[in-house]
Amino acid sequence: MAESKRRDEDAVDEHLDEVLDDAVDDDSLDDEDASAAARKATAVRTKSKDDGDKTDKKTVKDASDDRPGIFGRIGRFIREIVAELRKVIWPTRKELLTYATVVVVFVAIMLTVVGLLDLGFAKAVLFVFGKGQK
Amino acid sequence: MLSAFLSAFRTPDLRKKLLFTLGMIVIYRLGATLPSPGVSYGNVQQCIKLVQNGSNGVFSLLNLFSGGALLQLSVFALGIMPYITASIILQLLTVVIPRLEQLRKEGQAGQAKITQYTRYLTLGLAILQASAFVALARSGQLFNNQCDQFPAIPQTKIPMWLTVSVIVITMTAGTGVIMWLGEMVTDKGIGNGMSVLIFTSIAARLPSEGWSIKTSRGWPVFALIIAIGLIVITAVVFMEQAQRRVPVQYAKRMVGRRMYGGTSTYIPLKVNQAGVIPVIFASSLLYLPQLALQLMDANHPNALYTFIDRHLIKQNDWVNITVYFLLILFFTYFYVSITFNPTEVADNMKKYGGFVPGIRPGKPTSEYLDFILSRITAPGALYLAIIAVLPNLFMGLVGNNKQNFPFGGTAVLIIVGVGLETVKQIESQLMQRNYEGFLR
Repeated sequence: MAESKRRDEDAVDEHLDEVLDDAVDDDSLDDEDASAAARKATAVRTKSKDDGDKTDKKTVKDASDDRPGIFGRIGRFIREIVAELRKVIWPTRKELLTYATVVVVFVAIMLTVVGLLDLGFAKAVLFVFGKGQK
Repeated sequence: MLSAFLSAFRTPDLRKKLLFTLGMIVIYRLGATLPSPGVSYGNVQQCIKLVQNGSNGVFSLLNLFSGGALLQLSVFALGIMPYITASIILQLLTVVIPRLEQLRKEGQAGQAKITQYTRYLTLGLAILQASAFVALARSGQLFNNQCDQFPAIPQTKIPMWLTVSVIVITMTAGTGVIMWLGEMVTDKGIGNGMSVLIFTSIAARLPSEGWSIKTSRGWPVFALIIAIGLIVITAVVFMEQAQRRVPVQYAKRMVGRRMYGGTSTYIPLKVNQAGVIPVIFASSLLYLPQLALQLMDANHPNALYTFIDRHLIKQNDWVNITVYFLLILFFTYFYVSITFNPTEVADNMKKYGGFVPGIRPGKPTSEYLDFILSRITAPGALYLAIIAVLPNLFMGLVGNNKQNFPFGGTAVLIIVGVGLETVKQIESQLMQRNYEGFLR
């Protein structure tokens, strides 16, 4: 019952997709056409909605198209790096300070622990093995 | 914040892990102090005192990474270095030898086999290094021939060859134990075992080195170095926390009569996806020429010998710095390519009905991830290399010698990187119990 109902919905989706059929990858999930179709539909919708990632895709395509000289390619690589760096989420000042403090405290604790251990072991070993002879 | 450290100890399973790791560290430090059989502890101590006043430094890096155990000729004298070298060699070979690559692709079983090979190689390298060091110690070169009145391995009634081979066997076995300790920490403790042990070694050297700077150069220089250290710490934290978030949308799917999925998440791609491993790899590769130098004939130096001696092993020589810089760049890309496989991630996303908005699932997604990763790793690699090299350069300019090496970028980078990783792991464990960690 539910199966046939879904089929009906699919028909509509499929019709919608027909135009973009070559643009949609459908080698997976052949048996679960319901979810595949749903995915396609969302993919199409988000594609039209999301402008930011569309430009991303364009740059990917550009990279494989033409081949300028070595300097041109290096220049573009650097520009792409800068473009990606703009999308990076950097830690806020508060986050940075807490993390830095926690790391400093942790390192300080470890330094003390290891320092005390070493002191103790050095004393013990000196006691057991003595000063040594010439 | 302190209460969070306490609550870390109050959580039963986390407490168990922390105490386990601490226990491993205790064993590690014990082995690093315990002298090998046949080595005169008192004489070695005298020699170290003598050498520290003079100009040593040939083995400063190695001594740092073994936590001062090397010059003491202790049971753990070789430290974790042979293991690191072995794992670098095997990972590099994976790219070259098809059979190893096949093994790596096999998943769990193949990985176990590669680990097994790494262990064998480690033992081989350990035997090699142990024999080299024992030979050096006997000839007095280990202490720059400044310490002939206190023989490290004194004559006894037992024949010398027996003593020497016992020392070599002990050190090799020690390396095996360290390897095991590291793997146990990775398995049952907190953090990556290899990194934690290196962290411990460096932590063991820092106080005494800091004190020697203070006594030899006075408070102002000491304060300056602490300030530089704090700046480096902040910079490292800043870069390690930066991430590029690739949005992922999950499709809604019907299972029976229920709707599942439809959530949107992101893949966090860190700017420095590789962590501090590239630095450890690069610096441990850079010590190999030092080792080779000791095995070469010092009385009849050829061109290669002079080049290595003059440029490659001097911490503040431009050849050393350039090679180090390039090695870090290489290993960052190399390690990212090993640990993050875009094809696998893309396949997994496809399997669970996830996709990056605007990018088709499957191959285009993996290409997209690869594109981002290769672009974003460039600044990450540069940052690692610059932080690792800059203090050396700076110290070279100021005119200090390599006695200050433990406060160079490498050590601080490893300390902070491992510290941050470990703290974050503790934090995530803590979050499973109560919602407030110490990184609010």
